[in-house]
Amino acid sequence: MTKLIFNRRRFLGTAAMTGAALASPAYLRRANAAGGEVNIWTYNDFVPEAFKEQFEADTGIKVNIRLVDDQGKQFNLLAAEAPNPSVDIMTVAGHRFLQFIESDLLAPLDTDRLSNWGKINPTFSESDWSTINDNKWGMPILSGMEVLSYNTELVSAEEAQSWDTLFSEQYKGQTAYVIQDMISIIMLKMGYDGNMVAYLDDPEKAAAIVEEAKQFLIEKKPLVRKYYDGGAELQQMFVNQDIAMAQSWNGPAAALITDGFPLAMTIPKEGSYGFVYTFNIANNAPNADNAYTFMDAILASPEIGAAMTKASGFISTYKDASNYLNDVDKKATSFSDEELANLQFFRAEANEMKYGLVDPAVEAIKAA
Amino acid sequence: MSNDAAARAHSGAVAPGTGERTFWGRLTSWPLYQILMAFLTASPRRQFLILAAFPLIWVLTQHLGPMLQMLRVSLTDAYPVAPGVEQHFTLDNYMRFFGDPIFWQPFFRTLTFAGVFTFCTLILTYPVAYFLARHVSRKNQMLYLLLLLIPFWVGEIVRTYAIMILLGNTGAVNMMLKWLGLIEKPIPFMYTSFSMGVGIVYLTALYMLLPLYSALEKLSKSFNEAAADLGAGAWTRFRRVTLPLTIEGISSGCTLVFLISTGFYATPVLLGGPSTTVFAETIAGFFHVAGDQWPTGAAFATIMFLTALILTSVFQKLMNALRKGDSK
Repeated sequence: MTKLIFNRRRFLGTAAMTGAALASPAYLRRANAAGGEVNIWTYNDFVPEAFKEQFEADTGIKVNIRLVDDQGKQFNLLAAEAPNPSVDIMTVAGHRFLQFIESDLLAPLDTDRLSNWGKINPTFSESDWSTINDNKWGMPILSGMEVLSYNTELVSAEEAQSWDTLFSEQYKGQTAYVIQDMISIIMLKMGYDGNMVAYLDDPEKAAAIVEEAKQFLIEKKPLVRKYYDGGAELQQMFVNQDIAMAQSWNGPAAALITDGFPLAMTIPKEGSYGFVYTFNIANNAPNADNAYTFMDAILASPEIGAAMTKASGFISTYKDASNYLNDVDKKATSFSDEELANLQFFRAEANEMKYGLVDPAVEAIKAA
Repeated sequence: MSNDAAARAHSGAVAPGTGERTFWGRLTSWPLYQILMAFLTASPRRQFLILAAFPLIWVLTQHLGPMLQMLRVSLTDAYPVAPGVEQHFTLDNYMRFFGDPIFWQPFFRTLTFAGVFTFCTLILTYPVAYFLARHVSRKNQMLYLLLLLIPFWVGEIVRTYAIMILLGNTGAVNMMLKWLGLIEKPIPFMYTSFSMGVGIVYLTALYMLLPLYSALEKLSKSFNEAAADLGAGAWTRFRRVTLPLTIEGISSGCTLVFLISTGFYATPVLLGGPSTTVFAETIAGFFHVAGDQWPTGAAFATIMFLTALILTSVFQKLMNALRKGDSK
């Protein structure tokens, strides 16, 4: 099944990208035959294969991709290599910028070197989280959100309107979630600020809130089937019918929906969090010029953004990318206005305090 | 051809037919080389050192080196060291384990799992090794061993996914039980200590099987025949002769499987559930978490490493005592 998903998505992505490459080779001609290489750390399917091949053929720049599956691991890898990293472009989630910037791991983004910068939807390129210390640090490419995804043959749309269903006795042993993400959602569900920005001046209250969320998840531990980490694991569990519903990122769930699996996703009424993935240039990147060439090329047309959405399941940040999605893709990557009203973005201001409390809580929940 | 030239040609110093000196011929007649070789091979001790140099370098740099590095990291307060941060030596990472009971549960759970799974692996593989060593003809033994090795041609992850395909709700076992009419709803085998146990026993079976096979294969049949002549039944022969004489194989197999089981990470992550978190997952958590958590992870890894070593040493001592007691 996984192979079928992969093949179909790759086929769609390849078809879309071949069309895009044929229709708009101008940006690649401008890139000229620079040669050399560019090293990218990114998630699976974030760089469409057809685009990569076309870019390499037209510029002579070899694209080396190293897959990552976790922001923390990526941070540690980069910190271990600093101040002379092997990577040029990383994929950092917007709410994790601050940590990378404070550790001097990112170079400010020179948007003047990206002639296609204006092709990004300003909602993402000009929002408050994207500018820190008067600099842009990342080029938004895809946006995602924490959703409740559910097997439509086992769970009704009405039941999926609340996070409570994920913790109901009725679905005991048929649910899964990422503990760290779930703690933020539980805090929101309890009426608190899951970003913890509101408690920056009151660390005792912050600790009490995390403790409350931790106790809730320990109490509900007998109901959960699996604490998982990656999107592929989630897909595997749904396909094997090991679970009926899960807290997940919209990308992996959307990929299953476009493949025809009886799955749906929703932003429950208690609310949820969104995030934006960005391409960033590493401080002291060994091939910074090639990195800018690559980033400008991948921004060139909305077809590429649509291909990235088709391949990854996350929502493109490009203007007009949705014009190149078919009805099934649109269904898998869109939410009602009512649902979107419940969404807020993750923020970074209180991350140090938040994760200082959340990380031990995660260990405690696992150990309990 | 003079006698000297013939000798040189015979030793390979001169290429046959051409009369030209070979590379080795030139090298061995080079005075500096001769002095160096005379120095290096002057005593058996020096010859041993030359032979041992490469393996020693390999062991020191590839095995001991990373462990020493892990030990060093575990004694620091920051790693990787961010620009502008000063690194200090500390024991706090070790104190964190002893001071916080949260971490004890996965630690002791891992040791319990490793002990139980080692015992299960022994019980399951001993009959296989016995059959192979005692009942399969010598000419077929290699073929059978090769057949048992086939699953080990692929990696741990692939074999773990094979277990998932077997035990999933839509897996082969549940489908078979449904087909036989024994169940209506699938049994949730996956993400439990059962599925994790099946995976670990499967992955470690060979490490138990080979030492057992080796011990059983060396066991002379005449011991059992003598015991039978003296009136010992099958169970008594096994208990009083075969088992004590294969205790070395049992000891080696159990040590290997126990040590491997304490360090498994991917299999518990893929097959385990919310209540099976093992210490390797706790350790990995410190390396995944962004921040200065590597030293804590390294300290915890050192603690598990030392504990496993101590436990296996005690186990080996017990087995040795048992063996000596039996041989009296």
